[in-house]
Parts: sequence; C-alpha cells; structure tokens
Amino acid sequence: MKKKYKLVQKVPKTPKSAYNHGRFISSLIEHQIKHFHEVEKSLAKAGEPVTDISKIKTELHASRYLQKMTARLHPQGAEKPKKAAKPKKASVAAKRKPKAKAKTGKRKRK
Amino acid sequence: MPPAGLDNLKHIVVLMMENRSFDHMLGGLMKQNPKINGLTGQESNPDTNGTKVFVQPNAKFQGQLDHDPDHHFPGVDLQIFGTTQQGAGRVANMQGFIKSYATQDTSTDQSHGIMAYFTPNQLPVLTRLATEYAVFNGWFSSIPGPTICNRAFAHYGTSFGNVDMNLFYVQDPIVSIYERMIQGGHTAKIYYYDQQSSTMEIVNLLKNQPQVFGSYSQFVADCNGNTLPDYCFIEPCYNDHPGPGGGQILASDQHPDHNVKEGERLIANTYNAIRTNPQLWETTALLVVYDEHGGIYDHVVPPNCDPNFPDGHTATADKTGTGVAFNFDRLGIRVPAILISPYIPRGTVIPGTEDPNGLVFEHACIPGTVTSFFLQNYDNRTAREKNSKNFLTPLTDTLRPDDDCWVFDL
Repeated sequence: MKKKYKLVQKVPKTPKSAYNHGRFISSLIEHQIKHFHEVEKSLAKAGEPVTDISKIKTELHASRYLQKMTARLHPQGAEKPKKAAKPKKASVAAKRKPKAKAKTGKRKRK
Repeated sequence: MPPAGLDNLKHIVVLMMENRSFDHMLGGLMKQNPKINGLTGQESNPDTNGTKVFVQPNAKFQGQLDHDPDHHFPGVDLQIFGTTQQGAGRVANMQGFIKSYATQDTSTDQSHGIMAYFTPNQLPVLTRLATEYAVFNGWFSSIPGPTICNRAFAHYGTSFGNVDMNLFYVQDPIVSIYERMIQGGHTAKIYYYDQQSSTMEIVNLLKNQPQVFGSYSQFVADCNGNTLPDYCFIEPCYNDHPGPGGGQILASDQHPDHNVKEGERLIANTYNAIRTNPQLWETTALLVVYDEHGGIYDHVVPPNCDPNFPDGHTATADKTGTGVAFNFDRLGIRVPAILISPYIPRGTVIPGTEDPNGLVFEHACIPGTVTSFFLQNYDNRTAREKNSKNFLTPLTDTLRPDDDCWVFDL
C-alpha cells in the first residue's frame, strides 16, 4: 500500500494445501459445463466434432474446457501470461547448466 | 432532496459469492451486537436418531462439507419444512437440515456439520465489513433452490419459471439489467474471474452480448483507472486451476468444499480496489451478497412473497421434483448481505422479519434498485421486481472521514 492508512485489518493467507485441481467437479460446475456444451453444439458447423464432456471429471479438466469456450466467445478476456521471474544468479546458473531454462516464477495471483 | 450519499453515487458494484447461509457466516455476531439476527446457541435440528443437535461455533474453512450439501428444490423444501410430505397444514420450521444432509451418505457426525457456524474472528473480512457498514437481517435467496435460478434473479429479476439449474430462457422478452443499462445510455459490465473460471449462469448472455463482459483483472484496472462502469457485477473464481505463466489460482467462491479463506481474500481485494481510490470510494456502493444458502442451516423461516406483486411464472410439479407446483410465492433461505459505502454509519443493521417494521430483500432487489436508480421509469420487468425493496436506503447525508474507514492488508 502506497498511502498510510489509519485503520488496517490484516487478512490471513489461504494455506497452499487448499489447492486441489484434481478435485471432482461439483454439480454447479457440471451444469456450467453443460451450458457451455450447448453453446458449443449450437456454434458447430455440420459434421464438426464437439467436445466429449463426459470426460470432464476434475476442476482442472473443467477449467481447460471453460477457457477454450470462453476464449471463443469472449477473446477480450484473455489474461496475458506473466513474465518468467529472472533467476537471481543467472550467470552462475548458466555456467553450471548451459542448457537449463529459467524456471517460471510460481507466484500466487491476487 | 435525496441524501448526499445517493446524490453523489455514480457506481453500484455487486459481488455475489456462493452457497453459505446467514447464520453460518454471520450468526455468531449476535453476541457482539444483539440487533443482528443471528444465533443464541439454542437453535437446533433433530438428527436421524432423533437427537437434538444444537448449532456449534465449529465451522471449518474446508473439509467439513466435502459432500456438497443438497440445495436443489426438494432438498431445500425438506430443510424448511422438516418433512418430505406435501400438502396444506405443514409448517415451515427449519428442522430438516440434518435430515436432508443425512440423505447424502454422510455419517451421523458428518451430518451434524450442517449446523456449524463461524466465529467472527475466523472471518475477519466479512466481520469487519458487517460491523463497519450495513448488514441486512432479512436478505433471502429468491428461490428455495440452487445457484442458477437464484443468480438469474440478480440479472433479470426473475428466473423465468425455473427452479433448477436450467439456463435456456432466451425467448423471454425481459432483458438483463446490463442490456437495460446500455440501452438507456449507461455503462454496465459483468466481471468473471478469468477464462478458466468463466461465467456461471449467463452463457446465453456471454454468447449474445460479449461486450458486457470483462475479467476480474480488468475490474481492478478499471478501479485504478477511474473507468468503472455505472453498474457492475463480479463473479468469483469457481474452480482451482493453474495460473497464467505458472502459479496456482484458488477457487474464491466459498462454495463447499472450496476454502472459505480465499473468498475472504477476494472480498477484501474487491473492497480495497474501491476503497483505495478516493474518487471511487466516495461515489460507489458495494454490495456483497451470497446467491443461496448451499444447504447450510439458518434459523429464519423464509417469508412468503407479496401476492399483489407476482413473479408471473409457475414451475410445474415435474420441474420442482416435489410432486407439487411452485408459484414463486415463497423466498429461499436467508443469506449474508452487506452494503458498503462511506455514507453508511458504522454498525448499521437493517432489520428483517424479526421486526414488525423490518424489510425483506431478495435478489430481484438488485436489478430493481439498479434500474430505479439509473433508469427510473422502466416498465419491461416483473411486478415482483418493480415492487422489490431499494437496498441503497442505508446511504445517508454524512460522509465518514477517510481515517474512519478500514483498509485490508492482503
């Protein structure tokens, strides 16, 4: 925060263990997928294959399908990938492993 | 003359979370402020053995409700009436929550988890906002049913006769609040979290009106750049997924069994985006509200709707799943709702059904209030929406000093 505020409430972080993209989808997400599938079918040209949504079991599967469909309907909503974090000692790392690629920074958003 | 809070109002922002009841999230606040219609500790439900199970301040952020509690129409009917029997003479008693959860292959102990509630210190963000601004004692979901039909009320003022997860009502002449606003020369947007989470119930709108959508990062940018629309609606992140360029994005909707803390962070971040821009802070009202109770206990009996101002639809017996038609004449279970503005005095509590002069709010109040405020006389909407209560009434003439309003440190 740039400005100093008088009344500040600290908000606890969510534990990393909360993340589970392998969680089975809820009824809510299942219906969200069905709705998008109806749109996909309505947009498909004759003979064009559509996604087999019976294979969408987890939140990761769901997020991939939703991204594909949302990008099609609303490409303006695409997030730009964050730049990879620069390695702190790039020159040293390069000497040790000349072919190694810089790892992508794993920062949680928000 | 309207109060200064309304006179200066330029933006209304609604953040709609998922599936938590009023008592579950805010019921513990009654011990701090008796005006808040929460829990005394004496509220109970019978379990499947007939044992009386009292509400307990032992809600967990995750893992307690991993069998997603039933909140479809027949399940909520059981929760409200305590029986699956239909017909005249039955009484709404809020005694069927454990019975309902026990039908989902939960153990006896697990089924008791539906009576758990959070203590105020577990939810620092929601607690802070509820005690600093205005909390509604009587905001109910629009239908005793699931997400999609309830969210439809927030966008259209009706669910077009649906009490389930069906979406396909595009033939109806009533248009969404976003389309109304744009047709009236105003700006409006729905911010979904990101493409991987996307939007929940308005796929038809996304298909046909993509210009009214943006992402959550766009919302934050619009707050920073003073380009926030007149009206906007924010959707949380509905699933866990990898972030762009690495990292992990957590679901922030608070839908069981997603971690409640991440929802707290989303609420705080949304509040901060408005609060830390002085120009926006003094001209914006933020409503944080939940779509429905998610099958979790609340002690307040949902009231009947005013028969003089009907929704105008009927859900047939085969659609409700109870064997009996539903005429949209009863509201769903109570949910948390908090209105935030520097024009609201600290500790404001809007009385609900516990007070003979209390007010009943539901999601039709969202398009109802936004339409009345920005468009005034707009006729193409249901009688129920037209008659819905205005949720901006807590705004007063007095602007609180900047030093009197909190900021969250994320």
